[in-house]
Amino acid sequence: MSDTLKSIWFAALTALISSLLLTGASLGLKEYRLKNIKIDNQKNLLKSVGLIRPEGQYASVEIEKLYRENIRTYRADKSGRITPQKEPGSQGLPLFLYVQKETVRAYILPVYSRGLWGRIEGYLALENDGATVSGFTVFSHGETPGLGGEIGTRWFQENFRGKKIIDPRGKFAPIAIAKGRVTDRIPQGRQANFVDGISGATLTGRFLSEGLRDTLMAYEKVSANFRAGRIKLTTGEKSSP
Amino acid sequence: MKLTATKEFKALLEPLVKNNPVFIQSLGICSALAVTVQLKTAVVMGLAMTLVVAFSNLIISTIRNVMPRNIRMIVELIVIASLVILADELLKAFLYDISKQLSVFVGLIITNCIVMGRAETFALGNPPWISFLDGLGSGAGYSVVLIAVAFIRELLGSGSLFGFQMVPEAFYRAGYQDMGIMLLAPAAFIIIGLLVWLQKSLVNE
Repeated sequence: MSDTLKSIWFAALTALISSLLLTGASLGLKEYRLKNIKIDNQKNLLKSVGLIRPEGQYASVEIEKLYRENIRTYRADKSGRITPQKEPGSQGLPLFLYVQKETVRAYILPVYSRGLWGRIEGYLALENDGATVSGFTVFSHGETPGLGGEIGTRWFQENFRGKKIIDPRGKFAPIAIAKGRVTDRIPQGRQANFVDGISGATLTGRFLSEGLRDTLMAYEKVSANFRAGRIKLTTGEKSSP
Repeated sequence: MKLTATKEFKALLEPLVKNNPVFIQSLGICSALAVTVQLKTAVVMGLAMTLVVAFSNLIISTIRNVMPRNIRMIVELIVIASLVILADELLKAFLYDISKQLSVFVGLIITNCIVMGRAETFALGNPPWISFLDGLGSGAGYSVVLIAVAFIRELLGSGSLFGFQMVPEAFYRAGYQDMGIMLLAPAAFIIIGLLVWLQKSLVNE
Protein backbone atom coordinates (compact mmCIF):
# COMPACT_ATOMS: atom_id res chain seq x y z
CA MET A 1 0.00 0.00 0.00
CA SER A 2 1.36 3.38 -0.91
CA ASP A 3 2.10 5.95 1.79
CA THR A 4 -0.62 8.29 0.60
CA LEU A 5 -3.24 5.60 0.70
CA LYS A 6 -2.13 4.56 4.15
CA SER A 7 -2.42 8.17 5.37
CA ILE A 8 -5.91 8.50 3.97
CA TRP A 9 -7.02 5.26 5.60
CA PHE A 10 -5.51 6.26 8.90
CA ALA A 11 -7.14 9.70 8.85
CA ALA A 12 -10.51 8.24 7.93
CA LEU A 13 -10.28 5.67 10.69
CA THR A 14 -9.31 8.23 13.33
CA ALA A 15 -12.13 10.52 12.28
CA LEU A 16 -14.62 7.66 12.34
CA ILE A 17 -13.62 6.42 15.79
CA SER A 18 -13.60 9.87 17.38
CA SER A 19 -16.90 10.88 15.83
CA LEU A 20 -18.53 7.66 17.06
CA LEU A 21 -17.17 8.28 20.55
CA LEU A 22 -18.38 11.88 20.62
CA THR A 23 -21.80 11.03 19.27
CA GLY A 24 -22.13 8.40 21.95
CA ALA A 25 -21.08 10.80 24.70
CA SER A 26 -23.37 13.54 23.43
CA LEU A 27 -26.39 11.24 23.22
CA GLY A 28 -25.64 9.64 26.56
CA LEU A 29 -25.39 12.98 28.35
CA LYS A 30 -28.17 14.73 26.47
CA GLU A 31 -30.79 14.12 29.12
CA TYR A 32 -28.65 15.65 31.88
CA ARG A 33 -27.79 18.60 29.69
CA LEU A 34 -31.37 19.39 28.70
CA LYS A 35 -32.53 19.05 32.28
CA ASN A 36 -29.80 21.45 33.43
CA ILE A 37 -30.81 23.98 30.83
CA LYS A 38 -34.49 23.71 31.78
CA ILE A 39 -33.77 24.14 35.50
CA ASP A 40 -31.42 27.02 34.79
CA ASN A 41 -34.12 28.70 32.75
CA GLN A 42 -36.69 28.30 35.51
CA LYS A 43 -34.15 29.49 38.07
CA ASN A 44 -33.63 32.67 36.08
CA LEU A 45 -37.36 33.30 35.82
CA LEU A 46 -37.78 32.84 39.57
CA LYS A 47 -34.76 35.01 40.27
CA SER A 48 -36.14 37.85 38.15
CA VAL A 49 -39.23 38.18 40.34
CA GLY A 50 -37.27 37.71 43.55
CA LEU A 51 -38.66 34.28 44.46
CA ILE A 52 -35.16 32.90 44.97
CA ARG A 53 -32.04 34.65 46.18
CA PRO A 54 -29.35 35.16 43.52
CA GLU A 55 -26.54 33.41 45.37
CA GLY A 56 -28.65 30.78 47.11
CA GLN A 57 -28.22 27.07 46.53
CA TYR A 58 -31.40 25.30 45.50
CA ALA A 59 -32.10 21.69 44.69
CA SER A 60 -33.68 21.18 41.29
CA VAL A 61 -36.88 19.78 42.84
CA GLU A 62 -37.30 22.99 44.83
CA ILE A 63 -36.88 25.07 41.70
CA GLU A 64 -39.42 22.97 39.83
CA LYS A 65 -41.91 23.20 42.68
CA LEU A 66 -41.61 26.98 43.02
CA TYR A 67 -41.92 27.35 39.28
CA ARG A 68 -45.01 25.15 39.09
CA GLU A 69 -46.72 27.02 41.92
CA ASN A 70 -46.00 30.58 40.90
CA ILE A 71 -45.23 30.98 37.24
CA ARG A 72 -47.68 30.70 34.35
CA THR A 73 -47.10 30.94 30.65
CA TYR A 74 -49.21 33.39 28.67
CA ARG A 75 -49.29 35.03 25.29
CA ALA A 76 -50.02 38.65 24.44
CA ASP A 77 -51.82 39.62 21.24
CA LYS A 78 -51.44 42.88 19.31
CA SER A 79 -53.83 44.84 21.52
CA GLY A 80 -51.98 43.74 24.65
CA ARG A 81 -54.64 41.25 25.72
CA ILE A 82 -53.16 38.16 27.38
CA THR A 83 -54.43 34.61 27.26
CA PRO A 84 -53.01 31.41 28.77
CA GLN A 85 -50.76 29.64 26.35
CA LYS A 86 -52.66 26.39 26.86
CA GLU A 87 -55.90 27.82 25.52
CA PRO A 88 -56.63 27.09 21.88
CA GLY A 89 -56.27 30.19 19.70
CA SER A 90 -53.79 31.77 22.08
CA GLN A 91 -51.14 33.45 20.01
CA GLY A 92 -48.71 36.34 19.95
CA LEU A 93 -45.72 37.21 22.08
CA PRO A 94 -44.87 34.86 24.93
CA LEU A 95 -44.70 36.17 28.47
CA PHE A 96 -44.73 34.74 31.96
CA LEU A 97 -46.88 35.78 34.86
CA TYR A 98 -45.99 35.54 38.51
CA VAL A 99 -49.33 34.76 40.09
CA GLN A 100 -50.08 34.50 43.78
CA LYS A 101 -53.60 33.95 45.11
CA GLU A 102 -55.00 34.59 41.63
CA THR A 103 -53.48 38.08 41.48
CA VAL A 104 -50.74 38.92 39.06
CA ARG A 105 -47.77 40.14 41.07
CA ALA A 106 -45.42 40.63 38.16
CA TYR A 107 -45.01 39.82 34.49
CA ILE A 108 -41.81 38.60 32.90
CA LEU A 109 -40.66 39.34 29.37
CA PRO A 110 -38.12 37.19 27.59
CA VAL A 111 -35.30 39.41 26.29
CA TYR A 112 -33.35 38.47 23.18
CA SER A 113 -30.68 41.01 22.49
CA ARG A 114 -27.75 41.32 20.19
CA GLY A 115 -24.46 41.22 22.07
CA LEU A 116 -20.92 42.01 21.05
CA TRP A 117 -20.08 38.37 20.33
CA GLY A 118 -23.45 36.70 20.14
CA ARG A 119 -26.99 36.65 21.38
CA ILE A 120 -27.83 37.71 24.91
CA GLU A 121 -30.85 35.94 26.37
CA GLY A 122 -32.49 36.92 29.60
CA TYR A 123 -35.65 37.87 31.45
CA LEU A 124 -36.93 41.27 32.47
CA ALA A 125 -39.57 41.17 35.17
CA LEU A 126 -41.92 44.10 35.70
CA GLU A 127 -44.24 44.65 38.64
CA ASN A 128 -48.00 44.71 38.18
CA ASP A 129 -48.00 48.52 38.08
CA GLY A 130 -46.63 48.16 34.57
CA ALA A 131 -43.82 50.60 35.28
CA THR A 132 -41.37 49.30 37.87
CA VAL A 133 -38.65 46.75 37.12
CA SER A 134 -38.74 43.91 39.59
CA GLY A 135 -35.63 42.17 38.29
CA PHE A 136 -33.42 41.31 35.36
CA THR A 137 -31.48 38.12 34.71
CA VAL A 138 -29.26 36.88 31.92
CA PHE A 139 -29.09 33.15 31.36
CA SER A 140 -27.10 32.90 28.19
CA HIS A 141 -24.54 35.18 26.61
CA GLY A 142 -21.19 35.01 24.85
CA GLU A 143 -19.64 38.26 26.07
CA THR A 144 -16.00 38.57 27.12
CA PRO A 145 -15.55 37.26 30.65
CA GLY A 146 -14.56 40.07 33.00
CA LEU A 147 -15.78 42.78 30.62
CA GLY A 148 -19.11 42.38 28.82
CA GLY A 149 -19.51 39.10 30.67
CA GLU A 150 -20.24 41.14 33.77
CA ILE A 151 -23.86 41.33 32.55
CA GLY A 152 -24.16 37.85 34.03
CA THR A 153 -23.12 39.00 37.48
CA ARG A 154 -25.22 39.84 40.49
CA TRP A 155 -24.22 43.49 40.91
CA PHE A 156 -25.16 44.34 37.35
CA GLN A 157 -28.49 42.57 37.50
CA GLU A 158 -29.43 44.00 40.91
CA ASN A 159 -28.84 47.37 39.37
CA PHE A 160 -32.18 47.01 37.59
CA ARG A 161 -34.44 46.50 40.55
CA GLY A 162 -36.78 49.44 41.16
CA LYS A 163 -35.95 51.22 37.90
CA LYS A 164 -38.80 52.58 35.77
CA ILE A 165 -39.90 52.09 32.19
CA ILE A 166 -41.83 55.36 32.16
CA ASP A 167 -40.65 58.92 32.70
CA PRO A 168 -42.02 61.12 35.53
CA ARG A 169 -44.86 62.28 33.26
CA GLY A 170 -45.95 58.68 32.71
CA LYS A 171 -44.71 58.36 29.14
CA PHE A 172 -42.92 55.26 27.87
CA ALA A 173 -39.14 55.51 28.46
CA PRO A 174 -37.22 52.27 27.98
CA ILE A 175 -34.57 51.32 30.47
CA ALA A 176 -31.00 51.77 29.25
CA ILE A 177 -27.47 51.12 30.36
CA ALA A 178 -25.49 54.25 31.20
CA LYS A 179 -21.88 54.75 30.18
CA GLY A 180 -20.50 54.70 33.69
CA ARG A 181 -22.29 55.40 36.93
CA VAL A 182 -25.86 56.66 36.70
CA THR A 183 -25.31 59.25 39.43
CA ASP A 184 -22.38 60.78 37.53
CA ARG A 185 -23.69 60.58 34.00
CA ILE A 186 -27.43 61.04 33.93
CA PRO A 187 -29.39 64.20 34.86
CA GLN A 188 -31.44 63.94 38.04
CA GLY A 189 -34.86 63.61 36.45
CA ARG A 190 -33.94 60.70 34.20
CA GLN A 191 -31.92 58.55 36.58
CA ALA A 192 -34.79 56.12 37.14
CA ASN A 193 -34.55 54.98 33.50
CA PHE A 194 -30.85 54.11 33.59
CA VAL A 195 -28.67 51.47 35.24
CA ASP A 196 -24.93 51.59 35.97
CA GLY A 197 -22.79 50.52 33.02
CA ILE A 198 -19.80 48.21 32.94
CA SER A 199 -16.39 49.78 32.42
CA GLY A 200 -14.67 48.29 29.39
CA ALA A 201 -17.92 47.06 27.91
CA THR A 202 -19.43 50.07 26.19
CA LEU A 203 -20.57 48.09 23.15
CA THR A 204 -22.18 45.29 25.13
CA GLY A 205 -24.04 47.97 27.07
CA ARG A 206 -25.19 49.71 23.92
CA PHE A 207 -26.42 46.49 22.30
CA LEU A 208 -28.22 45.38 25.45
CA SER A 209 -29.84 48.81 25.75
CA GLU A 210 -31.14 48.41 22.21
CA GLY A 211 -32.37 44.89 22.96
CA LEU A 212 -34.20 46.03 26.08
CA ARG A 213 -35.75 48.96 24.20
CA ASP A 214 -37.00 46.67 21.41
CA THR A 215 -38.40 44.17 23.90
CA LEU A 216 -40.15 46.82 25.96
CA MET A 217 -41.54 48.44 22.83
CA ALA A 218 -42.94 45.14 21.59
CA TYR A 219 -44.70 44.59 24.91
CA GLU A 220 -45.67 48.22 25.51
CA LYS A 221 -49.37 47.48 24.92
CA VAL A 222 -49.28 44.90 27.70
CA SER A 223 -47.47 47.30 30.02
CA ALA A 224 -49.98 50.04 29.20
CA ASN A 225 -52.80 47.65 30.09
CA PHE A 226 -51.09 46.88 33.38
CA ARG A 227 -50.67 50.59 34.10
CA ALA A 228 -54.36 51.18 33.40
CA GLY A 229 -55.27 48.21 35.60
CA ARG A 230 -56.94 46.46 32.69
CA ILE A 231 -55.26 43.09 33.10
CA LYS A 232 -57.62 40.45 34.45
CA LEU A 233 -56.72 36.80 34.67
CA THR A 234 -58.93 34.90 32.29
CA THR A 235 -60.20 31.79 33.99
CA GLY A 236 -58.31 29.46 31.72
CA GLU A 237 -56.42 27.84 34.53
CA LYS A 238 -57.86 28.34 37.98
CA SER A 239 -55.07 27.06 40.17
CA SER A 240 -51.87 25.50 39.03
CA PRO A 241 -52.23 21.83 38.12
CA MET B 1 17.11 3.19 43.01
CA LYS B 2 15.44 5.94 44.99
CA LEU B 3 11.89 6.83 44.00
CA THR B 4 12.83 10.43 43.33
CA ALA B 5 15.44 9.37 40.80
CA THR B 6 13.14 7.32 38.55
CA LYS B 7 12.26 8.45 35.08
CA GLU B 8 8.55 8.36 35.91
CA PHE B 9 9.01 10.68 38.84
CA LYS B 10 10.98 13.09 36.74
CA ALA B 11 8.36 13.10 33.99
CA LEU B 12 5.69 13.92 36.53
CA LEU B 13 7.51 16.52 38.56
CA GLU B 14 9.71 18.37 36.13
CA PRO B 15 6.87 20.32 34.45
CA LEU B 16 5.45 21.19 37.86
CA VAL B 17 8.31 23.37 39.02
CA LYS B 18 11.52 23.37 37.01
CA ASN B 19 9.98 23.35 33.55
CA ASN B 20 6.58 24.81 34.33
CA PRO B 21 4.61 25.23 31.10
CA VAL B 22 3.32 28.69 31.97
CA PHE B 23 6.44 30.12 33.62
CA ILE B 24 9.27 28.67 31.55
CA GLN B 25 7.64 27.69 28.28
CA SER B 26 5.25 30.69 28.37
CA LEU B 27 2.39 28.53 27.11
CA GLY B 28 -1.29 28.82 27.97
CA ILE B 29 -1.08 32.41 29.17
CA CYS B 30 -4.28 33.44 27.41
CA SER B 31 -6.61 31.22 29.37
CA ALA B 32 -4.60 31.84 32.53
CA LEU B 33 -5.74 35.45 32.26
CA ALA B 34 -9.34 34.69 31.58
CA VAL B 35 -10.45 32.12 34.11
CA THR B 36 -8.57 33.31 37.18
CA VAL B 37 -11.00 35.88 38.54
CA GLN B 38 -12.43 33.20 40.81
CA LEU B 39 -10.82 30.16 42.43
CA LYS B 40 -13.72 27.86 41.57
CA THR B 41 -13.44 28.33 37.84
CA ALA B 42 -9.65 28.13 37.99
CA VAL B 43 -9.77 24.76 39.76
CA VAL B 44 -12.29 23.27 37.33
CA MET B 45 -10.39 24.63 34.35
CA GLY B 46 -7.14 23.18 35.74
CA LEU B 47 -8.76 19.78 36.20
CA ALA B 48 -10.24 19.74 32.70
CA MET B 49 -6.92 20.81 31.24
CA THR B 50 -4.94 18.18 33.19
CA LEU B 51 -7.23 15.39 32.03
CA VAL B 52 -7.04 16.54 28.42
CA VAL B 53 -3.22 16.77 28.35
CA ALA B 54 -2.74 13.47 30.17
CA PHE B 55 -5.06 11.50 27.90
CA SER B 56 -3.97 13.19 24.70
CA ASN B 57 -0.36 12.31 25.60
CA LEU B 58 -1.41 8.75 26.39
CA ILE B 59 -3.35 8.23 23.16
CA ILE B 60 -0.84 9.93 20.90
CA SER B 61 2.04 8.03 22.44
CA THR B 62 0.15 4.75 21.97
CA ILE B 63 -0.43 5.32 18.28
CA ARG B 64 2.89 7.08 17.63
CA ASN B 65 4.45 4.11 15.80
CA VAL B 66 1.54 3.38 13.46
CA MET B 67 0.70 7.01 12.78
CA PRO B 68 1.86 8.19 9.33
CA ARG B 69 4.31 11.06 9.82
CA ASN B 70 2.84 13.30 7.15
CA ILE B 71 -0.58 13.63 8.78
CA ARG B 72 0.66 13.48 12.35
CA MET B 73 -0.48 17.00 13.30
CA ILE B 74 -3.97 16.45 11.93
CA VAL B 75 -4.35 13.22 13.87
CA GLU B 76 -3.06 14.93 17.02
CA LEU B 77 -5.62 17.68 16.58
CA ILE B 78 -8.46 15.19 16.14
CA VAL B 79 -7.46 13.44 19.35
CA ILE B 80 -7.14 16.69 21.31
CA ALA B 81 -10.35 18.21 19.94
CA SER B 82 -12.32 15.06 20.74
CA LEU B 83 -11.05 15.02 24.31
CA VAL B 84 -11.88 18.69 24.79
CA ILE B 85 -15.41 18.29 23.46
CA LEU B 86 -15.83 15.32 25.78
CA ALA B 87 -14.65 17.40 28.76
CA ASP B 88 -17.04 20.18 27.78
CA GLU B 89 -19.98 17.75 27.51
CA LEU B 90 -19.18 16.31 30.93
CA LEU B 91 -19.05 19.76 32.50
CA LYS B 92 -22.36 20.72 30.89
CA ALA B 93 -23.96 17.56 32.25
CA PHE B 94 -22.63 17.60 35.78
CA LEU B 95 -21.28 21.08 36.63
CA TYR B 96 -23.63 23.25 34.61
CA ASP B 97 -23.19 26.49 36.54
CA ILE B 98 -19.41 26.38 36.36
CA SER B 99 -19.47 25.38 32.72
CA LYS B 100 -21.55 28.49 32.06
CA GLN B 101 -18.97 30.66 33.76
CA LEU B 102 -16.08 29.06 31.89
CA SER B 103 -18.03 29.61 28.67
CA VAL B 104 -15.71 29.49 25.68
CA PHE B 105 -12.56 28.72 27.60
CA VAL B 106 -13.13 25.01 27.91
CA GLY B 107 -13.46 24.82 24.15
CA LEU B 108 -10.32 26.87 23.83
CA ILE B 109 -8.27 24.16 25.55
CA ILE B 110 -7.93 22.86 22.00
CA THR B 111 -5.82 25.86 21.12
CA ASN B 112 -3.87 25.78 24.36
CA CYS B 113 -0.31 25.30 23.22
CA ILE B 114 0.53 23.14 26.21
CA VAL B 115 -1.51 20.24 24.84
CA MET B 116 -0.09 20.32 21.32
CA GLY B 117 3.36 21.18 22.69
CA ARG B 118 3.53 18.16 24.98
CA ALA B 119 2.17 15.89 22.25
CA GLU B 120 4.82 17.03 19.79
CA THR B 121 7.83 17.25 22.09
CA PHE B 122 7.15 14.42 24.51
CA ALA B 123 4.47 11.93 23.52
CA LEU B 124 5.86 11.32 20.04
CA GLY B 125 9.18 10.13 21.46
CA ASN B 126 8.25 8.33 24.66
CA PRO B 127 6.24 5.25 25.69
CA PRO B 128 2.60 5.69 26.80
CA TRP B 129 2.93 5.43 30.58
CA ILE B 130 5.69 8.04 30.85
CA SER B 131 3.82 10.29 28.42
CA PHE B 132 0.71 10.02 30.55
CA LEU B 133 2.68 11.08 33.62
CA ASP B 134 4.26 13.94 31.72
CA GLY B 135 0.76 15.06 30.74
CA LEU B 136 -0.42 14.89 34.35
CA GLY B 137 2.62 16.89 35.43
CA SER B 138 2.16 19.54 32.76
CA GLY B 139 -1.53 19.86 33.52
CA ALA B 140 -0.78 20.13 37.22
CA GLY B 141 1.90 22.73 36.54
CA TYR B 142 -0.65 24.76 34.62
CA SER B 143 -3.27 24.28 37.34
CA VAL B 144 -0.90 25.37 40.09
CA VAL B 145 -0.28 28.67 38.30
CA LEU B 146 -3.99 29.14 37.63
CA ILE B 147 -4.88 28.48 41.25
CA ALA B 148 -2.13 30.74 42.60
CA VAL B 149 -3.20 33.61 40.36
CA ALA B 150 -6.89 33.04 41.12
CA PHE B 151 -6.17 32.93 44.85
CA ILE B 152 -4.56 36.37 44.75
CA ARG B 153 -7.13 37.84 42.37
CA GLU B 154 -10.20 36.61 44.21
CA LEU B 155 -8.85 37.55 47.63
CA LEU B 156 -7.80 41.07 46.68
CA GLY B 157 -10.44 41.70 44.02
CA SER B 158 -13.58 40.33 45.68
CA GLY B 159 -12.45 39.78 49.27
CA SER B 160 -13.45 36.13 49.11
CA LEU B 161 -12.06 32.62 48.46
CA PHE B 162 -14.17 29.98 46.67
CA GLY B 163 -17.03 32.48 47.00
CA PHE B 164 -16.81 32.64 50.80
CA GLN B 165 -16.27 36.08 52.29
CA MET B 166 -12.74 36.31 53.71
CA VAL B 167 -12.28 40.01 54.40
CA PRO B 168 -14.34 40.81 57.52
CA GLU B 169 -17.15 43.38 57.32
CA ALA B 170 -15.35 45.55 59.86
CA PHE B 171 -12.56 46.15 57.33
CA TYR B 172 -15.02 47.54 54.80
CA ARG B 173 -16.60 49.75 57.43
CA ALA B 174 -13.13 51.03 58.34
CA GLY B 175 -12.67 52.13 54.73
CA TYR B 176 -11.08 49.08 53.08
CA GLN B 177 -11.99 48.61 49.42
CA ASP B 178 -11.60 45.65 47.06
CA MET B 179 -9.05 46.27 44.33
CA GLY B 180 -11.07 46.64 41.15
CA ILE B 181 -8.05 46.11 38.91
CA MET B 182 -7.70 42.55 40.20
CA LEU B 183 -10.90 41.66 38.34
CA LEU B 184 -9.48 42.86 35.03
CA ALA B 185 -7.04 41.04 32.77
CA PRO B 186 -4.03 43.34 33.38
CA ALA B 187 -3.90 42.21 37.00
CA ALA B 188 -3.36 38.63 35.87
CA PHE B 189 -0.45 39.78 33.71
CA ILE B 190 1.14 41.57 36.65
CA ILE B 191 0.67 38.60 38.98
CA ILE B 192 2.03 36.11 36.47
CA GLY B 193 5.02 38.38 35.94
CA LEU B 194 5.70 38.53 39.65
CA LEU B 195 5.29 34.76 39.97
CA VAL B 196 7.74 34.14 37.12
CA TRP B 197 10.23 36.34 38.93
CA LEU B 198 9.66 34.45 42.18
CA GLN B 199 9.97 31.06 40.48
CA LYS B 200 13.18 32.02 38.66
CA SER B 201 14.87 33.34 41.76
CA LEU B 202 13.85 30.25 43.76
CA VAL B 203 14.97 27.70 41.16
CA ASN B 204 18.28 29.41 40.49
CA GLU B 205 19.25 29.37 44.16
